[in-house]
Amino acid sequence: MLQQILFNLIWIIPFLTVLVCVPIANSKVALLKKIHLCSAGIVLMITLFLATNMILDYAPYAGGNAFAMSYLTDFPWLAAISAHYLVGADALTILMLVLAAVIIFTGVLASWRIASGHKVFFGLLQILAASVYGVFMSFDLVLFFVFYEMEALCMYLMIAGYGTGDKDLGGKKLTLTLALGSAMVMAVFLGMYVEGGSWSVFELANVKLPENFQMWAFPVLFMGFAVSSSLFPFHFWSPAGHSAAPTAVSMFAAGVMMKMGAYGCLRIAMYLMPEGAHFWLPYILFFVIFNVCFGPFIAMRHKDLKFITAYSSISHLGLIFLGLCAMTPVALRGASLQMLSHGFLTGLFFATIGMIYGRTHTRDITQMGGLMKIMPFLGVGFVIAGFAGLGLPGFSGFVAEASIFIGSFQNEGTLFRIVTILAILSVTATAVYILQTANRMLHGPVTNPHFKELTDATFEEKIVIVIFVICLLAIGLCPAPFADFLDTSIAPIVSNLTR
Amino acid sequence: MILQNAILPDILLVLFPFIVLALRIFASKHEKLQWYAANIVLFTVFIWQNCLMLGNTQIYLSNWKIDTFGIFMREVFVLGSICALWFAKDYFDHASTGKARLKEFPEFIATMGFATLGGVIVVSANDLITLFIGLELATIPMYALTAWNKKDSEGSEAAVKFILMGSAATAFELFGFSYLYGFAGSLNMPQIATEVAKNASSPLLWISVLFLISGVGFKLTLFPFHTWAPDVYDGAPTPVTALLSVTSKAVAIAFVAVLVFGPFAAVQQTVAPFLALLAGLTLLAGNLGALKQSKLRRFMAYSSISQAGYILVAVLGPETNAKFAIVYYLFLYTFANYLAFFIFGIVGQNRKEDFVSLRGLSKQNLTLAIGLVVALMSLAGIPPLAGFFGKFHLFFAAAETKHYALVTFAVLNNVLALYYYIQVLKAAWIDKPEVEPCALQITCRQKAAVIILMIGVIACGFVPMLANNLFAGLKF
Repeated sequence: MLQQILFNLIWIIPFLTVLVCVPIANSKVALLKKIHLCSAGIVLMITLFLATNMILDYAPYAGGNAFAMSYLTDFPWLAAISAHYLVGADALTILMLVLAAVIIFTGVLASWRIASGHKVFFGLLQILAASVYGVFMSFDLVLFFVFYEMEALCMYLMIAGYGTGDKDLGGKKLTLTLALGSAMVMAVFLGMYVEGGSWSVFELANVKLPENFQMWAFPVLFMGFAVSSSLFPFHFWSPAGHSAAPTAVSMFAAGVMMKMGAYGCLRIAMYLMPEGAHFWLPYILFFVIFNVCFGPFIAMRHKDLKFITAYSSISHLGLIFLGLCAMTPVALRGASLQMLSHGFLTGLFFATIGMIYGRTHTRDITQMGGLMKIMPFLGVGFVIAGFAGLGLPGFSGFVAEASIFIGSFQNEGTLFRIVTILAILSVTATAVYILQTANRMLHGPVTNPHFKELTDATFEEKIVIVIFVICLLAIGLCPAPFADFLDTSIAPIVSNLTR
Repeated sequence: MILQNAILPDILLVLFPFIVLALRIFASKHEKLQWYAANIVLFTVFIWQNCLMLGNTQIYLSNWKIDTFGIFMREVFVLGSICALWFAKDYFDHASTGKARLKEFPEFIATMGFATLGGVIVVSANDLITLFIGLELATIPMYALTAWNKKDSEGSEAAVKFILMGSAATAFELFGFSYLYGFAGSLNMPQIATEVAKNASSPLLWISVLFLISGVGFKLTLFPFHTWAPDVYDGAPTPVTALLSVTSKAVAIAFVAVLVFGPFAAVQQTVAPFLALLAGLTLLAGNLGALKQSKLRRFMAYSSISQAGYILVAVLGPETNAKFAIVYYLFLYTFANYLAFFIFGIVGQNRKEDFVSLRGLSKQNLTLAIGLVVALMSLAGIPPLAGFFGKFHLFFAAAETKHYALVTFAVLNNVLALYYYIQVLKAAWIDKPEVEPCALQITCRQKAAVIILMIGVIACGFVPMLANNLFAGLKF
C-alpha cells in the first residue's frame, strides 16, 4: 500500500512542486533551485527504491500475454467516455521511470546557471517531468494520451524562451511536428476504443481488433509514435529542435521524450495490433534504413556539436526501430535495452556539450581544439559518452546493439538480413564521426587564446557526469539482471505478436 | 416543491431586462444600482438553474419544453452573460485606445438580456414558430450591440454588414421552415419528427434541410457563410465581440442540436456526410484564415470559426454523447474565450489591440502571461487543460458513429491551430518590445475574473466533476 502511494506520487510530486513555487518571488533564485532539486531528488529516490524492490523479487515469465504488474491503481475517472485512472508498473515501465528521473534530476543540475526566469523554466521542466512519468505509468489510453500530449505545452516556451540560435523556428518545428504525431495517435486511439470497447491496454490486448481496422490504424499509430522518435521522414524536427534548445531540454528531449515514441510503438501499437504489425513492419523497415545508414554519414559532415549529436541520436533511434521491426524476442529485448542505454548516453552527450558550450560560447568543432588540457573532466565525460555511443564493450551501448543485431539477424527475411549487415557497417561510420569530433575538439593545439582562461567542471556538473557514467557502466558491465528483468515485459508482447 | 419548477428561473430571466430598464427610468440617479441588480438577477438565475432537478422533461402550454439539455444550455447562456457583463463594465467606465468610452450601460445590459432570452427560447421551443422567434430574439439585439458606439464608423459598418447577412440568413431559415411545414403539415416538433421518420426521402424535406443548414450556417459562421465574421468581430466593441463569439455561437449550435436530435433525428446519419463536409471545411477555413492575422479581434474571429467547426463535429454522434460533448465544450469554451478576452481587454486598454501590444507581457505581469498560455492552449486543445477534454469528447462522439475520416481530419487541423495560438504566445513571451510598454491598469474585478476563469480552465478538464455531473444528467 505504501509503495503504491509512493508510485502514484511519482507524477504528482512535480505538479505539487510547481504549485509550491507559485507564490515564491522570482528573485529568490537559490530557494527555487533548492526546491526543484529536492523534488527531482525525491522522485529519483522513489523510482530507485521501487525499481530495486521489483528487480529483487520479480517472478520469471510464466506464459500468457499479460504483463507482470506491480503497484496497480485503478479507479473510474471520466464517466462519459468510461476512461479510468489506471497506472501500474512492469519491468519496462519502472526502468524507463528510473531513466526519466535520472535525466530530470541531472537536468535540474545542468541548468543550475541559467541566466534568468528560473521560476518559469523550472516550473515547465517539472511539468515535462510529470508528463513523461505519466506516459510510462499509465495503462489507460486516455490517461496515456493526456500525459503524452502535455509536453507540447512546455516545449515551445522552453526552447524559444531559453534556447540559443534560431530558437523560435527550432521550437516551432519541434512542437508542431510532435503535435502532428500526437494527432495521429489520438485519431487511432478513438478508433481503438470504438472497435475494441475499452481504453485499458490490458483488456485491449485480449481483444482481436478487426483486421481491416488494423490495416489502416497500425501504420498511422506507429508513425504517429515514431514522430517523437524522429523516424525518417519525421526526423527533421530533431536537429533543429536540439540545436536551439537549452541543455536540460536537449537532454530531456533526446534522453526521454524520443523514447516515449519507441515505447508507444512497442507497448501499444505492436502489442495491441499484432496483425497490423506483421503486415506493415517490413515496409516500415525502409524508413529505418535511412535512420540507421544515413544518420552517421550526415553526422560526419556537420560541424555543430549539437547537430552531430542530434544525427547520432537519429541513427541510434533507428537501431531501436530495427529491433522493433525484426519482432524477434532477442531483438525486442535489445531495443528496450537500447532505449535505456541511449537515454543515459545521450543525456551525458548533451550535458557535456551544454557545459562546454557554456564556456566556449561556440559549438563549432572547427573552432575548438586542445580542450582536454583545459577542461579534462568534461573532456573525459565527452569521450566516455562517445565510446558508449559507438558501442564499446563494457558500456551499455554494446549490449543493446549486439542484442539488436543478433535478434534482427534471427529474422529470416532477406531484407532484414541485408539491413542488419548495413546497420553493423554503419556502426563503423559512427566510430568515425565520434573519434573525429573528439579528436578535433579535445586534442591538438589550443586554437583560441581566450580558451586558456576557461575552467573545468564545477561541483554540480561533476555530479551530473558521474551519475551518467555510473548508469552506463552498470548496464554495460552486468546486463544480465536487466535483460532477464526486461524479458517479463517483452515476452507478453512477443506472445501477442505470435498469436 | 415550487422552487423546483423549472419555468420560474425562465420567468425571472424574461423579467431581467425590464427590471434593469425600470431601474434606469425610476432610479436614474443611482448609477451603480442597475449593475448590482443585473448581477444579482443573473447570479440568482444561474444558481437556481444549477439546483434544478434533472431528468424529467416539463412541457408548458404545449410549446415550452424544458429538458436536461435545455437546462444545461441555459446555464451556458447565463454564464456567458455574466462574463460579458463583467467584461463590458470596464468599457463603460473609461475609454480605451482608439475607441471612445461606451455609454448607456443599463440599456446595454437589457439588450444583452434579450439576446440571452433568445437563446433560452431556442432550447425550449417545441414548435417551429417559437424556435424562429427565439433565434431572431437572439440575433436582432446583436445588431444593435454591434453598433453600440454610435460615433465609431467601423462599428456602424460592421453592423450594416451583420444586418444584411443576418437578414439573408433569416430569410433562408423561414423558407426552410415553410417547406418543413408544408412537408409535415404541422408546426409541432414531435409531429414533424414522426413525419420525417415515415417519409425520409421526400424532396420537400431535403430542400428544407438544405435551407435550414444554410441559414444556421450564417449564424454559426460555417464555411462558406463565415466571411462576415472577421469584419463584424473586428468592428464591434470588444465586449460585443466576446458575446458574439460565445453566446451567439452557443445559440446557433443549440439550434442545430435541437433540430438534428429533434425533428430530424430519423435522418441524422443521412445528413451526416453533408454536416461532416461543412464541419471539415469550416475547420480548414478558420484555421487557414487565422494563420496570418495580426489583429487580436480578427484573430479571435477566425479562431472562433474553427471552434464552430469542432463543435459541429460532435453533432454527427449519438444523441447523449453529442449533447453532452456540446454542452461540456461550450462551458469550457466560455471559460477559455472569456479568459483570453479579459486579458486582451486589459492589454488593449491603453494600447492597440494587435499582437505587437502583447510584447513584453511575461516580464510585465506573469499572471496575465500565464493566463494567456492557459486560455490559448485550452482553445488549442492541449492537455491537461480543459479544452483538450472538451475536444476529446467532441471527437469521441463522432468516432462512436465511425466518422473516422472526419475525426482524423479534425485532429490534424488541431496542429494548424496550435501554430497560430503559438504565434500569440510568441508575442507575449518571446518577442522583445521595441519601446518600453506602458503600465497595465488592472482593476480588482478584472483580476478576480482572470483568476477564477483560469482555475476553471485548468481544473474543469482533468478534475472530472463538471464532466461527470453533466453526463449523469444527460444520461437519464
